[in-house]
Amino acid sequence: MFLGGSRFQCRGPRFFFRLSSGLPRHLVQTACLLLVITAFAPGVAAEPSDPVYLSELIRRATDVKLADSREWHALLHYRPNFFGGITSEQDGLTFFLSPDGKTNPQAELEATLTGFFSDNLIGEAKQPISCAFVARYAWLKEQLAFDDRRLPPKDCERFHNWMQGLNPRSITLIFPSAFMNNPASMFGHSLFRVDRQDQTPQTRILAYTINFMAEVPDDEGIMFAVRGIAGGYKGNFSAIPYYLKVKEYRDIENRDIWEYRLNLTDAQVRRMLMHVWEMGNASFDYFFFRENCSYQLLPLLEVANPAWRLTDQFTWWTLPGDTVRLLTKQPGVVGDAVYRPARTTQIRRRYQRLSDDERGLLGRIMGDASLVRDPAFQQLPVERRALLLDIASDYLRYQSVKDDKRAESYKSRDRDVLIARSELKVKSDDTPSEPFVTRPELGHRTSRIGVGAGYRQDEWFEEVSFRTVYHDLLDPEIGYAPGYQIELLSGAFRHYEKQNQTRLERFTLANVMSLTPADALFLSPSWKVNVGMQTLRHNGCRYCSAGVANGGAGLTFETHLLKREYFFGFGELETTYSRAFEEKHRAGGGGTLGMMADLTDRWRLLASASYLRFALGEKSDEVRWSVGQRYTLAKDAALRFEFNHRERRDNEALFTIHAYF
Amino acid sequence: MKKLLVLFTALTFAALPATPVFANDAYGNGPGCGLGGDLFKGNKAILHQVLASTTNGTMGLQSFGITSGTIGCTNNGQFASNGHATMFADLNFENLSQEMAQGGGEHLASLATLMGVPAEQQPAFFAMTQEKYAALIQSGETTPTALLKALHETMAAHPVLAKVSLVR
Repeated sequence: MFLGGSRFQCRGPRFFFRLSSGLPRHLVQTACLLLVITAFAPGVAAEPSDPVYLSELIRRATDVKLADSREWHALLHYRPNFFGGITSEQDGLTFFLSPDGKTNPQAELEATLTGFFSDNLIGEAKQPISCAFVARYAWLKEQLAFDDRRLPPKDCERFHNWMQGLNPRSITLIFPSAFMNNPASMFGHSLFRVDRQDQTPQTRILAYTINFMAEVPDDEGIMFAVRGIAGGYKGNFSAIPYYLKVKEYRDIENRDIWEYRLNLTDAQVRRMLMHVWEMGNASFDYFFFRENCSYQLLPLLEVANPAWRLTDQFTWWTLPGDTVRLLTKQPGVVGDAVYRPARTTQIRRRYQRLSDDERGLLGRIMGDASLVRDPAFQQLPVERRALLLDIASDYLRYQSVKDDKRAESYKSRDRDVLIARSELKVKSDDTPSEPFVTRPELGHRTSRIGVGAGYRQDEWFEEVSFRTVYHDLLDPEIGYAPGYQIELLSGAFRHYEKQNQTRLERFTLANVMSLTPADALFLSPSWKVNVGMQTLRHNGCRYCSAGVANGGAGLTFETHLLKREYFFGFGELETTYSRAFEEKHRAGGGGTLGMMADLTDRWRLLASASYLRFALGEKSDEVRWSVGQRYTLAKDAALRFEFNHRERRDNEALFTIHAYF
Repeated sequence: MKKLLVLFTALTFAALPATPVFANDAYGNGPGCGLGGDLFKGNKAILHQVLASTTNGTMGLQSFGITSGTIGCTNNGQFASNGHATMFADLNFENLSQEMAQGGGEHLASLATLMGVPAEQQPAFFAMTQEKYAALIQSGETTPTALLKALHETMAAHPVLAKVSLVR
């Protein structure tokens, strides 16, 4: 029943609209036609109700150029286009009242005013036009001082119920951190939460969120990437209760969440939410890199305060972390930040506080909850027993989500643990779990340029390097998860002195690496994928371009001998295409061992050695090793020194200064 | 997920012909109350699949549309009062069961708020759920309605919370 209802509700009206997608356009045309008719035959037609007043309003709006104002452009999502005109980023059919609305602000304004005089009900929710576009109405009413007797306001019951349901006080920007295991969430996500008047810190989860998401059908496979990047999906706003988002991010995907309270005035909050209501009739083509979840929050803020120019800041891509950074740069906008640890973060932090004996007990109890009767456990102070059982329950839940096949077994053990826990009449330890990753907006910016010089194969060179996004292992770590690397579209041009040759030295399509330390509780694998072009020396070829694809899986261990060290090992496969090789290619496999160590807060060392044997194409093998060091100068500046050894006598030393922007 | 999708699609189409004149009824009980009204007439297992699908962000989103979602679904009073508590209890059963055993937490505080337990009585409410945990959770595992019923009954027998329960 529910299911039928729900799916019907979502498909039904959509389907209805597809059938009648011309409806609003039609209405407007009819209305205009009637306007013309009524001009010749006053008092005959019923629509619009007061044509004289309508034309007066249109004239006044035109006189003061309302259609050119920043507010109108913000409400309609108009942006300057490449051809010097104006286009709205809204792509749905029900949002514009004029057939030219997408590109003609004046026509849309006239059609909107005309619509206000009509009794037609539009959209999924069947509302009068002044209710469906309640923010446009409020703004135009204010600008043109509508005479309520000649343009009687409509009763927007649904909208008022909705506002009452939200009971808004303020807006919070929610930033769930990056999630490596889902390509769509690799850079994090962002959404708004509408905080309630009657909310306490304990009931924040009852607030609704304003969330922009693409509608992605299941099992899209590789097409997901293509369509996601090219705008092949429709994106819509939705209002999901925050407790479902917390469940999704904190409990299922194990992502830390940051909550940034925004300092908006009551009027700004109201204006923004009126516009959110209008978004119920809007849809946007979803572009993974720019017009994405994070970008589409910015126009809402621009409606709240048209003086903010936020969307202009993003030309090519919008990363959730950048939007957070952009907002924190506006003075006074961002208030306090609240941290909500992922379930795994909480488990790891609490586990760190246990003694070896307690860890042993924890492991045994998670295997068999009846061991809570064991004297070794019973003799612990009651707070420690509660702590142990709380960790056990969290961990068993984590396992039941992760391991579908044995979920029932974990759940039944969790039930036993919780029954034992309920017998301890103490509250849980509420010491906040410290994040492992600092606040994202404190980190370096995501684009990077570098200028460097070095020595390779007995000659000097200079190079200029660039990277579009995002972070590599040697970049300053603040704000980014340790052991987490995503580089997209990066490269370097190099000039070799002796050869007097300038060449594209390397180009990276994608270089992604995830080093996740394995420990007693979490045995997550580490993995890496690297696709791009490199310059290598082989056989007779001194500098040869080569297309390389490399991927591997392995394990990482963490130690704290100095500050923090990661030791990692990978098994990997690699294939290279280059004219340097016989048959122009070689393919094979091998392994890498490496270490990443923080010597001080600013100084990091990354060293690795690989052996690869190529059995296909040109049969050969190769030993590579490299040592890299980074020294952080400032938040957005760092020095790097690298030494790379590839084939015999192909040694390279490189010194670079990086700036992030 | 594939199986879910098939199930969803099958049931959606199965339900379509049986649903009368949807477009005309839109203002009343049509798309106004996405989850509110019909939620608990349904089968619990299916509801959980809906949740599973909303949580990976690919489906079920439309239940939370701006103009067609659950907010402001107060026309029939269902969602505003007990309906919301029941929905919340169902969608958050796992976290509730944990926090009841621990004697507190934000999900439990939120449920108490939705059930109309005033802030000053909530500590007693938390202690009660911990005290009667085994019995409550047994009811809770059948249906969310049964959990709420059991909570109300336990409150009725409680020296302090009985008043709150009676007020309801």
